[in-house]
Amino acid sequence: MLAVAFLAFSLFRFVGDPITQMTGVETSVEDQERLREELGLNDPFAFQFARFTGDMLNGDFGFSYRTRQPVAEMIATRIPATLELGFVALLISLFVGIPTGVYTALRPRGVATQAMLMLTLIGVSIPTFVIGIMLIFFFGVQLGWLPTFGRGGTVNAWGWETSFLTVDGWRALILPAITLGVYQLTLTMRLVRAEMMEVMQSDYIRFATARGVPMRRIYFKHALANTMVPVITIIGLQFGGVIAFSIVTESVFQWPGMGLLFLESIRFVDIPVMGVYLVVIAFFFVLVNLIVDLLYVVIDPRLRIRDVS
Amino acid sequence: MTYDIAKTFVLGGALSMAALSVQAESFNWASTTDPQTMDPHAVNSAPVLSFLNNIYEGLVRRGQDMSIEPSLATSWEPLEGENGWRFNLREGVTFQDGAAFTSADVMFSYERASNEAADVRSWFAPVTEVRVVDDYTIDFATNAPNPLFPSSIANFMILDSDWATANDAALPARDAENYATLNVNGTGPFMVASRDPGVKTVLTPHAGWWDAATHNVTEATFAPIGNAATGLAALLSGDIDFIQPIPLQDVDQVESRDGFNVLEGEETRVIMFGFGHEHDTLLYSTDVTDVNPFQDPRVRLAAAHAIDLASIDRVLFRGKIEGASQLVPAGISGFSEANSDRPAYDPDRAKELLAEAGYPDGFSFGLKCTNDRYINDEALCRAAASMFAAVGLNAELSTGPVRDYWTQLREDDFDMYLLGWSPGTFDMEHPIRFLLHSQDDEAKLGSWNFGNYSNARVDELLPLVQQEIDPAARQAMIDEIVAITQEEVAYIPLYTQPLIWAAKENIDLTQRADNFFMLRWVTVN
Repeated sequence: MLAVAFLAFSLFRFVGDPITQMTGVETSVEDQERLREELGLNDPFAFQFARFTGDMLNGDFGFSYRTRQPVAEMIATRIPATLELGFVALLISLFVGIPTGVYTALRPRGVATQAMLMLTLIGVSIPTFVIGIMLIFFFGVQLGWLPTFGRGGTVNAWGWETSFLTVDGWRALILPAITLGVYQLTLTMRLVRAEMMEVMQSDYIRFATARGVPMRRIYFKHALANTMVPVITIIGLQFGGVIAFSIVTESVFQWPGMGLLFLESIRFVDIPVMGVYLVVIAFFFVLVNLIVDLLYVVIDPRLRIRDVS
Repeated sequence: MTYDIAKTFVLGGALSMAALSVQAESFNWASTTDPQTMDPHAVNSAPVLSFLNNIYEGLVRRGQDMSIEPSLATSWEPLEGENGWRFNLREGVTFQDGAAFTSADVMFSYERASNEAADVRSWFAPVTEVRVVDDYTIDFATNAPNPLFPSSIANFMILDSDWATANDAALPARDAENYATLNVNGTGPFMVASRDPGVKTVLTPHAGWWDAATHNVTEATFAPIGNAATGLAALLSGDIDFIQPIPLQDVDQVESRDGFNVLEGEETRVIMFGFGHEHDTLLYSTDVTDVNPFQDPRVRLAAAHAIDLASIDRVLFRGKIEGASQLVPAGISGFSEANSDRPAYDPDRAKELLAEAGYPDGFSFGLKCTNDRYINDEALCRAAASMFAAVGLNAELSTGPVRDYWTQLREDDFDMYLLGWSPGTFDMEHPIRFLLHSQDDEAKLGSWNFGNYSNARVDELLPLVQQEIDPAARQAMIDEIVAITQEEVAYIPLYTQPLIWAAKENIDLTQRADNFFMLRWVTVN
């Protein structure tokens, strides 16, 4: 995370000049210089970086150049939106991706299989923002079923602004979650399919079939469980990416999450917000990887046995 | 909460029974940027000032045609025996929290807005002293006669001194936020019911507003939508009633559907090319490296003659732009009628001029442009570069986002550049002060004159223009300045940027030339 902070911070020098974004056209050069001095932008790079990391370690995330709000608060209010979006996108990708993956593995030559494979190929090749805009125009504008932007009604549950408790919130969540989940879904499906086909060739499945174990039991208990280990690794790592790169989806749907905040901050060269955002995202990546490692133990009994011995 | 409702009811009832009988009309609108702050003195930017003009008011305000009309001041007259203005304030005005408005609030707001922490302090540069005469009279003394002063402070918004002091917001927030960053208490027609920065802001009418409300909005919700396609979809799906602005290429899309109106107007922003007048050499040339050909006015005129504005209008702007002859569009006070011709498209004349100046084969140079600041800015520069090339001026085009553009221009990193200028005071004096006067950091003049165009006569005339009371004499001086700068081709003014809004058919609203959106002129039918 320190490395991310350092990289991010050294890049900010090339993003632009925050002062010209903070002041109006009529502000004199002298006033601009005074502001630059006050914000410490004239200090040497090493000094600025040390101050940034030092403040962060002390829990002081600073104030936004753009809105003057505390950065910690700005990001904290945006986290629920991004996490809920990412979570629903993940659920969609799992609940659609795994069954279709299993189906296409078991009936590799079926017409439905070929159709699904085609569809996912299209899904993975169209850029996210195009999918988003197409969904908006079809379901939002032409049919008028779903809202085109924003989060709709949210409820504040113990300080967590959630869309899960209102119909309006769910309606607003559908399109962005699909948009964000499409790539994941495709990946999940193809991964499950490939793994499943491999597992079905393995000896123990043949033996099980020979012993007359019911096919359902073979498919969903033995084969699928063994398929899940690599799938969870990839999906888990991808989930970090979903959170980090929900930027595009959030921008298309004006979804008030961290990604949108980051985009706005780039436009205004709001260095404190950009810095903290990147560090928070790095933190999520680390966290997700840790969770994935822990999940191995749950899924793969061999790891538990080794633990005991 | 209960108290608030009761108060609103009583005030509303007392003021007008008619207002209560109007049915509830909610109005949703969107724009590309969220106002960064609710503090009227912290940031001098159009999104903030436009939004806050619905909530706060100044001593004077602008009408639908941009003319200055009384607001918190009922009248104003020049001071006797000294330079400056006396403002007679309106009696019986209350802030949204119920406090009475007096000259003490004006004095407090002046001190707040002219403080170093305020971004709007440049408005008060000519002010030497402000004196409270009585509760409803206040004097602004200036260092010289200043006929423009009342109109230059149309966006100077008045805060309640007790409210600001009690909430620790006596100064605008500079680094950390303060109470006034998120909360408001103005005298204007609307107040903020709730605000979620960057997501949405809900406004409700101020029942105790001093002026008669002509709108019928009972609740207005603003949401920023950064992505143009999303904004358009939101309008077409009916999620919002009005959006400002929409991209040019979406105009047909909106017009082709029933139930929507496109509002087209001219913004006051003039788009132009500027030169590095004081650069001794070209930075980006491959063939001319020892001199700067653009120092020769004939070369600058050749560049002006090379531009085929009619084609640019037809291809890039769908016939929606108006050619510009000077740094302000017609209709702005001080516009020089006597000099309203712009150089015609004449490539042969351009080649002749180049040959006369000693460049019969032309030369190459760098053209710097933004790609996210003005409408179609990058496409414009591409078109211009090929038009320049047709007469032998080979422009090496580089485009980039505006966030580091101004820094590059300030560091003189250009041969020719693109600039758009909107006169903040809606008077010709504004671009003369910022773009035509020689750079002078001390006197804070010429601060956006990146190439440092410099003409002694223009510099001499500016203070006279600023102080002249007689309109005819003033116009004569402005005419002289415009004639000089056209003669010397200080800039190549191209066109006035179009202003395109879109709304549902049942919405009546007013599109003002400064791109400000005033809720008080909205009628939901």
